[in-house]
Amino acid sequence: MLRAHDLHKRYGAGESAVDALRGVGLELAAGEFVAVVGPSGCGKSTLLHLCGGMDRPTAGAVAVGGVDLAGLDDEALTALRRDRVGFVFQFFNLLPTLTLAENIALPLLLAGVPGRPGLARAGEAARRVGLAHRLGHYPGGVSGGELQRAAVARAVVHRPALVIADEPTGNLDSDNGRRVLSLLRDLNRETGVALLLATHDPALAAAADRVLRLRDGVEEASAADPRVARIGT
Amino acid sequence: MTLFRQFIVRGLRRDPVRGLVTVAGLTLGVAVVVAIRLANAASVGGFEAALDVVAGQTSLEILGAGVGVPEEQLAGMGWLREYGRVSPVIDRHARLETADGAGHRLRVLGVDVLRERPFREYQLLRFSRQGRPPRPQELLDVLLDATSIVLTERFAARHGIEVGAPARLVIGDAVHDMVVRGLLLDEGPARVADGRLALLDIAAAQWRFDGLGSVDRVEIRLFDASAVDAAERAIAARLPDGLRVQRPAQRGRQVERMLAAFHFNLSALSWIALVVGLFLVYNTVAVSVISRRAEIGVLRALGASRRLVLGLFLGEAAVLAVVAAGLGAPAAWGLARAAVALTSTTVNTLYVTSQAVVPPLGTADLALAGAVAIPLALVAAAMPAVEAAGVTPIAAVRAADGGTDRRRFPRQAALVAAGLFGAGGWLSTLDAVGGLPVFGLGAALAVVFGAAALVPVLLAWLRRRGRALLAGRFRIAGLLAHANLSAAVSRLAVSVAALVVSLAMLAAIAIMVGSFRETVAYWIGQTLQADLFVAVAEGGPVGASAGVSEAAERRIASHPAVVAVDGFRSVDLPYGPDRDLIILGAGRFEVLLEHGALLFKAPADGPAAMRQALGADAVTVSESFSIKHGAAVGDRIELDTPRGPRPFRVAAVYYDYSSDRGIVVMDEATFAAHYGSRPPGGLTLYLAPGADPETVRDELLAAAGEDHRLFIRTNRTLRSEVLRIFDATFAITWALQAIAIVVAILGVAATLLTLVLERRRELAMLRLVGAGRPLIRRMVVIEAALIGLVSQGVGLAVGVALSLILIYVINVQSFGWTIQFHLPVGLLVQSTVLIAAATALAGLYPARVASRVAAGAER
Repeated sequence: MLRAHDLHKRYGAGESAVDALRGVGLELAAGEFVAVVGPSGCGKSTLLHLCGGMDRPTAGAVAVGGVDLAGLDDEALTALRRDRVGFVFQFFNLLPTLTLAENIALPLLLAGVPGRPGLARAGEAARRVGLAHRLGHYPGGVSGGELQRAAVARAVVHRPALVIADEPTGNLDSDNGRRVLSLLRDLNRETGVALLLATHDPALAAAADRVLRLRDGVEEASAADPRVARIGT
Repeated sequence: MTLFRQFIVRGLRRDPVRGLVTVAGLTLGVAVVVAIRLANAASVGGFEAALDVVAGQTSLEILGAGVGVPEEQLAGMGWLREYGRVSPVIDRHARLETADGAGHRLRVLGVDVLRERPFREYQLLRFSRQGRPPRPQELLDVLLDATSIVLTERFAARHGIEVGAPARLVIGDAVHDMVVRGLLLDEGPARVADGRLALLDIAAAQWRFDGLGSVDRVEIRLFDASAVDAAERAIAARLPDGLRVQRPAQRGRQVERMLAAFHFNLSALSWIALVVGLFLVYNTVAVSVISRRAEIGVLRALGASRRLVLGLFLGEAAVLAVVAAGLGAPAAWGLARAAVALTSTTVNTLYVTSQAVVPPLGTADLALAGAVAIPLALVAAAMPAVEAAGVTPIAAVRAADGGTDRRRFPRQAALVAAGLFGAGGWLSTLDAVGGLPVFGLGAALAVVFGAAALVPVLLAWLRRRGRALLAGRFRIAGLLAHANLSAAVSRLAVSVAALVVSLAMLAAIAIMVGSFRETVAYWIGQTLQADLFVAVAEGGPVGASAGVSEAAERRIASHPAVVAVDGFRSVDLPYGPDRDLIILGAGRFEVLLEHGALLFKAPADGPAAMRQALGADAVTVSESFSIKHGAAVGDRIELDTPRGPRPFRVAAVYYDYSSDRGIVVMDEATFAAHYGSRPPGGLTLYLAPGADPETVRDELLAAAGEDHRLFIRTNRTLRSEVLRIFDATFAITWALQAIAIVVAILGVAATLLTLVLERRRELAMLRLVGAGRPLIRRMVVIEAALIGLVSQGVGLAVGVALSLILIYVINVQSFGWTIQFHLPVGLLVQSTVLIAAATALAGLYPARVASRVAAGAER
């Protein structure tokens, strides 16, 4: 589903240049759940952005569903993100002028699905994450946990092959964090969507099929990590 | 469309103040542009409408060389009847005194009623009750008596005049007792100039207007109206020297050309408010893009294409423009009425007397509002919209953690500014196009946009340098204000640029008008040497007018205190390939040389050149004539005379600011030799040393008695009258400029408000650490006042450069006037204080919101 090979990412130039990633590789099969862990600044988010087609690597290659992202122009890359990838961000990133239903339906709207059928599908997705009663609310009027559940619904409403979740529980209390994790895991299992998730949370990492550990932009270990699982239990 | 509604329309609703301010600013801009177009159309339209109605069925008209068509020539032109029906007309203005003593300016038509019928239909009230127009004989019966006058039903009703009532008609200085013999039904010609029309028999009119032996024009109604071209050519070929044939509409075109430069400059001024409004559109969209960067990133991450994002933000500008156009067009009509009121003194004094009526708003005006607002708003929004389209998906996460102002202003902005200033300098060296200062305005625009480009560079510089100054002067409030402004340079740049543009134009206009006023004051100081000025009622800027009668002149000249009398005669004469209407004047050169003074531009010894012109076919010409028609000292110009075109040598060029039409002046004797004798339109009197002008004036008026109406002004009152007319001329300029400044200050207030709303967290934090509400308010007001001061500083510097273009390029190319540069320091200092105060006041509302937001966020 996802293949990333020898990814390098450098920000800035000259003396102030920072190497966020230095030769990281990753493979993710359909329906697989991989957690990326590591301390702040280790390159977790950068890796996710490159894998989701939000940014381009300085060197290395990313392929989603067999399509090499380096060969795509901006328009094709936009279409790939729209059709095949779903995103969940730490700060929810719902659009404040759209209701929760409209936010959830946004990927469908961008894909050309008309408003009413789009909203109907958004309603289904919202019910699945327990937000049916909040559809008409704006983001400013609901809790953080609800916002992130709406973000999860938005990430899967268009049935993507891959969901990228960057610290999805980082801005939530533990109860809401657990609820969002459970949602993501269920969706991963039930729909077969591949899930690539970056987290500081050991419990979240423990739920993954595999854990990719990064430090200073390089991979530390890439097998399911029993220590993580132990810490999480 | 759904996304546009959800993302843009709701976004505008979420921040209504910014959207409303932008719409208000753009609405004013659109309204001013449409209003000036309507007002310009009204001033020409009033004249042309009257022309059309009075012309009636006239196909062609025959005119003389400034002094009418002599009847003796007309007697030999029986052949005109081969082409159509022919009718002579006297067309003048006079003053009617009503029973209450009030005077009313009327257009007086003297017609040959037996020949008139095919040209214009007059419906007399008396006959209309019988359901028919008067027969020629019946109309003749009404007008036959030399004391008969026919007024309009509308005028009579307004002033309570009935048929049979006496009426006093003042023509020149003479008062004629008339009797109202009929009233014209309120239709057709009777509606000219809001009913201010009177009808006389042609012979009576010739006699009353002291014009026996000539008519003002001869009208021809062709048998075959479709063959006007052929008839015009054929008649022109057969006309004797000194006469010309033209279509009636030609007079309208001459008036249009006369007003073209005045209207062009007014239109250019009206666009300033629109340009400032467009800065507001840029600002709104730019702020929208900056503050919603993370949201745009989300859209891009979720699959919105660059084109879609571009479309969304261009759509935002289009929505604002559509609303502004919709509101601006109706607002324009009201503004147009105000503009007509403000320009009527100028138009009526300098160009043409007309009853300007603002035409009703038509679809063309609505289309103009849309055509002006929408494409320009899209252009204004293009840059921020392109920037929005360039936002990467990564911005969704990058900007989420603060969204500080990271934009840097490249040195290219300074280079762009330098390039634009250079372009302005180059454009200002190019000549006018068709008498209009097209490149001059291009130069002004280049300087204006150069100033706008310079603003971000200057703000970035102040960010580095202003901290110590502000902290030292205003302590913590100054320090915080500096920090806030520094963090928002890119957001502020456009608002400040808009204000700079307005203030630069204000400063430029203040300098130009101040310089012009000083120049005119110096000019009248030097040239208005006579002690008393005698005028008669109803001399208009265009068209034949009656003058001072011989009897009145004799009586005045015989007053013991009067040492010398000069009389000024003037006629309108078509000149040059475009047949522009110039003023041909005649004065007594000897009197002028001995008592008066002209300011000569060339040659160095102007009076000597003028002396040589005595008794010769030589003229002095005004500077505007010299520039517009390329006539220099020593050149020969060809003027129409009743005996055909004659060459005249240009003896001297003198400074004149009384009319931009161009004036050619010859000695009275030369004029009489070519154009025949003619009463002077006004007299200038030189008094014996020690004579009191006020006393002499009173004695002259007393001597004139009840039968003569003279207006005598002293030197002092005439000077103040000249300056009053001057100030009235520029009233519209100030009004347009005031609107542009209001729009710009609105923009500053809106930007400050946006900044305040975006800084909620910081403000709350300030309150938490002990900043009281007064400090928060003071901080925002200091920010506003700083914006005002910086804008005024740049505006003044740029304004001086702009004023040089206005004075030395645009004015010279439009009007042919040399203006001496003068810096009105006091006025500029006053305006600086005023602008700082106005912007500080504009900061009060955002300051109030800031203190409230802070308190709210605490809770």
